[in-house]
Amino acid sequence: MKQISDFARRFGAEISLDESLIVTRQNRYFLINEDLKKLLSKAFFYAGTYLGRLKNDVFFPSFNLTRMIAESQANKTIVDERTEWLFICGRDIFKRGITKVIGSKKKGDLTLILNRHGECLGFGEISHNLDEEREGLAIRNILDIGDFLRREK
Amino acid sequence: MLAKDFFTNRYQELGWAYHPVEVRQAIRINAINNSKCSLINRLESKGIGLEKIPFLENGYWITKSKFSVGATPEYLLGMYSIQEAAAQIPATLFADIKGKTVLDACAAPGGKTVQLADIMENTGAIIVLDIDKQRLTALSNQLERCRVKNSIIYQMDARQASTLNVKFSRVLLDVPCSGNFATDKQWFHRRTIKDVQRNAALQREVLAEAANTIEDDGEIVYSTCSLEPEEDELNIDWAIKSFDLQTEKVRIAYGERGVTEVFGKKLDDSIENCVRIWPGETQGFFVCKLRRRLGR
Repeated sequence: MKQISDFARRFGAEISLDESLIVTRQNRYFLINEDLKKLLSKAFFYAGTYLGRLKNDVFFPSFNLTRMIAESQANKTIVDERTEWLFICGRDIFKRGITKVIGSKKKGDLTLILNRHGECLGFGEISHNLDEEREGLAIRNILDIGDFLRREK
Repeated sequence: MLAKDFFTNRYQELGWAYHPVEVRQAIRINAINNSKCSLINRLESKGIGLEKIPFLENGYWITKSKFSVGATPEYLLGMYSIQEAAAQIPATLFADIKGKTVLDACAAPGGKTVQLADIMENTGAIIVLDIDKQRLTALSNQLERCRVKNSIIYQMDARQASTLNVKFSRVLLDVPCSGNFATDKQWFHRRTIKDVQRNAALQREVLAEAANTIEDDGEIVYSTCSLEPEEDELNIDWAIKSFDLQTEKVRIAYGERGVTEVFGKKLDDSIENCVRIWPGETQGFFVCKLRRRLGR
């Protein structure tokens, strides 16, 4: 699906999904498998792996999708434990919390945020070129897993 | 007579003396999403105290925590779920469930759905039903958080499951019930025997539909968090006399056998295969395993 591959490309990643196994329901995209395909009827609410949704022509990814992109070659920023906590509380990332950058360091690019265990916490937009000798705000938080808690409110 | 006296007298008749309890908070490790040892180390390094629940493979009681265990990165990454200990029992009772087609008939908020997917290692398929759209949204969030890949959710009343035209080899019926005082401090003020009877009637309708959708030799696990026999042993006694179902022994090293004499009424002896859990470290609970007889 174009929206999904375009989204992955914004991280410098290429992902290929079997289009015959992608189903949509009310602008939400799901990846299913052959077992589920046999059982799926039209009026489903959710199926397989949720990939994201389209709203006003803007694609909003799921955490399943960001995790899938993180498993491929993509822009990734690894942060320390304190920054991990602040990030999942919705905060932006400061330069001092970054321990490693893989892929793009360029202002305006998207990067996945990983903790020290390599687990994907969400993603953000690089605020200034990360190879510059400059402290302060480095990555603006766009989506983080704390969203699971915020959705419940 | 006060409602509390009415119900506690019934418990006394069934063999349990009422006393107030404090249910312990528990978590269940989602084994497919991480290694158990490394998760325990990670949580303990954050100051979370854990104690293995002896009758559950992946269950742990929380003995101390300075913050909510529902807000850690590990929780948000789907490595564990917060799930009361007794509520972790039903999904573990199915035999040979990997790769099967399973019905989770009254699924929201989804703790047991995630557990089924974990036990099934995301193989086969779980058809997940609940009638309330808001609860389905919360359920979907749970599935996304815990990386469940093998489910299909329908907004549907469990009593209409047969309209899907699918025969299931395993059915989980964690039916809507009256609950119990251990998890609801106002329970004795809010509940009447009429509520219990109404819920029992609804549960029979769900049981009947499950009997209609299960394969020959298939397994149904029925559970409630009600202490009232109308919703527990009496319903199972009715089910085995009404359908080609038989009870199987619930193999769990916790709780007591199902009661076979309820307020003067003698039930089928096989009801003792069920497990009744009176509140204590866990909430009150009832669980039964049924098998569809072959060659109907």
